[in-house]
Amino acid sequence: MILLDIKNLYASASSATGSATEILHGVDLTVGAGEVHAIMGPNGAGKSTLSAVLSGKPDYTVTSGSVTFAGEDLLAMSPEQRSWAGLFLSFQYPVEIPGVTYSAFMKAALAARRKAAGEEELSAADFLKLMKEKMAFVGMDPSFAKRAVNAGFSGGEKKRAEIFQMAMLSPVLSILDETDSGLDVDALKTVADGVNAMRSPEKSTIIITHYRKLLEYVRPDKVHILKAGRIVRSGGEELADEIENEGFDKF
Amino acid sequence: MGHGRYIEPPAAQYVLGAGEKLALEFSVLPGESRDIDISVDLAGEGAEFSLRGFYILGRDEKLNINVRVHHKAPGCSSSQVVNGVAGGEAAVKFDGRIIVAPGADGTDASQTNRNVVVSDSARVETTPQLEIYADDVKCSHGATVGKLGEDELFYMRSRGIPEREAKVLQILSFLSPALPDGVDQNGVEEALREILV
Repeated sequence: MILLDIKNLYASASSATGSATEILHGVDLTVGAGEVHAIMGPNGAGKSTLSAVLSGKPDYTVTSGSVTFAGEDLLAMSPEQRSWAGLFLSFQYPVEIPGVTYSAFMKAALAARRKAAGEEELSAADFLKLMKEKMAFVGMDPSFAKRAVNAGFSGGEKKRAEIFQMAMLSPVLSILDETDSGLDVDALKTVADGVNAMRSPEKSTIIITHYRKLLEYVRPDKVHILKAGRIVRSGGEELADEIENEGFDKF
Repeated sequence: MGHGRYIEPPAAQYVLGAGEKLALEFSVLPGESRDIDISVDLAGEGAEFSLRGFYILGRDEKLNINVRVHHKAPGCSSSQVVNGVAGGEAAVKFDGRIIVAPGADGTDASQTNRNVVVSDSARVETTPQLEIYADDVKCSHGATVGKLGEDELFYMRSRGIPEREAKVLQILSFLSPALPDGVDQNGVEEALREILV
């Protein structure tokens, strides 16, 4: 079953001055349910633009093409609707929100999602239990529940917290945007364990990365090379080895 | 610092002697037009003053905040944080002045006034002033008037938090340094929901 279907996607990023630059020049990508795909590419290839467009970030405009997610028109949805539909983006640079605790943040997120699904809000006890369970799952100290969202976190703690949020929201499609960058091996393993533990026949993952390292721990079903705004090559795991050995230039 | 006190308009004047401490707090909520005038003299060595205040306005309120802190003795400290959000047709003026008199060496004074505007018609003016006539002083002041950042908003929405509720949390985050300990958080959130129409 196809979960995500990107067809001939063209997209531009607009700058503060209002000028638009086309970054994606016709991306085609199909992700089946239960699959893990890796998208690799050099700097400036459009990797982050692709994740921004999929998650509905303002300042990006789709000029042509379509994206279907679980049979629905993804591009017609607001960022929050995409989240309710089961999409999750692990940010390359998670945002700090001083003064708002992780607990309040996740409570608001879960409440909105349950409301959208027509479910009742979790009881305080069930919510706390879930928080505790998922924090343990990613090896986060329980004290983080009372800390402000990402405020003063180290790079590794922020990425770990992204995986915690992913576990809390239990998405159908997770997009990890360079979640591995700047992580030491231990943190990388934590991220990988988190992703692997959530693998299921229904859930899919897109790993956007520069490096093969994370793919040694989370083995992808397919590897794509994104270059100059297009997927220039798709293949299996062996493609990641080829890139590691020979770089992106040959593609 | 000691317990906070709410200030009753129109004016409050304090003179602090050696080693005395004063902590003031104020809050201005939707529908309240106020003139807040605070004048504090740090007249004795080692006196300490702190002020935390916030406002949430979104109708056609008028708020004038005047704070004057006069460091007259050595080794005193003062810290002020006043943050607020203006929507609707609210008009806000903040005038903050710190004066460090000759001889008030070792003064440690700070003042922050951050404002966020959430409508086209709201107006905020802020004028921080610093006058220093002493040596060896640590003074900082900062004032901003701006709009809500898109990054926090998008981050929260990407987690499924609806736009309006995300704005409530975002402003709560913005106000947090100015919120008194033990503030009625639900009350603050309700006030924010009211002005974010």
